[in-house]
Amino acid sequence: MQEFTWPGRTAETELAFDLEKAAQRREFEQRLEECGTLAFRVARGVLRNAADAEDVAQEAILRSYRRFARLRDPSRFRAWLVRISFRLALDHGRSARRREQRETAWAVDLPKPTAEDIAVSNEFGRRLEEAMATLSEKSRLVLLLTSMDGHSLEEVAELLRVPVGTVKSRLHSARKQLAEKLR
Amino acid sequence: MTCDKYENALRLAAASNGELDAKLARHLERCSTCRTTLGSKRELLSRIDSALRAQMNEDPRPGFLAQLRLRLSKELTARPRSDRVWHVAGAALALVLIAMAYPLFEPLFNPLDNARRPIVQGNLQTPTIEVPQRAGLTQSARASEDLGVGPLHHPKRPAVQSAVPREPEVLVPPDEQKALAQFVACVARRDAIAQAVVRLAANKTVNMNAELPRVSSVDIADLQFGRERQEKWIHQTESSE
Repeated sequence: MQEFTWPGRTAETELAFDLEKAAQRREFEQRLEECGTLAFRVARGVLRNAADAEDVAQEAILRSYRRFARLRDPSRFRAWLVRISFRLALDHGRSARRREQRETAWAVDLPKPTAEDIAVSNEFGRRLEEAMATLSEKSRLVLLLTSMDGHSLEEVAELLRVPVGTVKSRLHSARKQLAEKLR
Repeated sequence: MTCDKYENALRLAAASNGELDAKLARHLERCSTCRTTLGSKRELLSRIDSALRAQMNEDPRPGFLAQLRLRLSKELTARPRSDRVWHVAGAALALVLIAMAYPLFEPLFNPLDNARRPIVQGNLQTPTIEVPQRAGLTQSARASEDLGVGPLHHPKRPAVQSAVPREPEVLVPPDEQKALAQFVACVARRDAIAQAVVRLAANKTVNMNAELPRVSSVDIADLQFGRERQEKWIHQTESSE
């Protein structure tokens, strides 16, 4: 069956459209390896589960691909992807918590974890996750990005489009809050 | 307690990991409690940093990028969602516009109007005879009278009559054919009545050379009738039959 074309859209314009699309895809794929890992790490920083983080990272990259052509400044792509991944991971975390609450409301009393279980599940890591969840989104994102290898304060400031001083102050505040909660 | 005033400075010193304030450094030389507090705070922050670093530098599993490429190629082969959305939105908008514009163009599609139009135009320049009385009309004739359909023609003007198509070609939708047939039948009955009236007038020895009586021309506005009035007429016609 012949594909529908709008009146006025000739074969030449279709070809130009396809060529432009292919060029965009090549450009996007060049960034894919670096950006895929970045999206995964941001999502992993928000979510506790690596599998969930992979799902969120894939979704974030697909969304960013769909809107890639509309991005005015390609150099801002990383910052854009970080924001999309962070927002998606937060949404995913919230919906997962709601789902968990619904399911546990019907569940019978589970056996309480033993001391060994706690030790195995890394108590400090769990408490850190809980403390992180109480931080503001801005402070949390700064903390996550500065914890990544190869992200200096200046780069984080550039990614978030805020002054370096703001990054420093948010980082300091976040670490202080975490230390107080984990004391 | 003297150590209380250094609490904030200790927190800052632990968080900054840099050079200590001179005043705090002097205090720490003397106070073992504050030294322990600073040490534990620094240790805690160091644990936090290392835990975050371990978490944030975890790599995705090896198949992640391959799976991502696969999803991306599926996305490329699929028709762009935005196009689909625009097509559906365009079609919906077109339907809405057609529905809104239909009343404006309804007369063009209405076969009754089309059938009437040439008769009206043909009679505009001709003298017409007003129907003198309504008392003697039948119910169906009165119903057709109420519609204000074309004036009666003078029988002495056959040329004008012949110029006007008696049976204009009209494309009638199937669901309106019955209504049109009834309309035509009623108009024909009315012509018969008109001829009877004119015949009565002819018996009064009219001078053919005399100027024809001036009568008011047909008002086109009177000839227009809406669907509601049309349905009322059809209903009356059916009930009379």
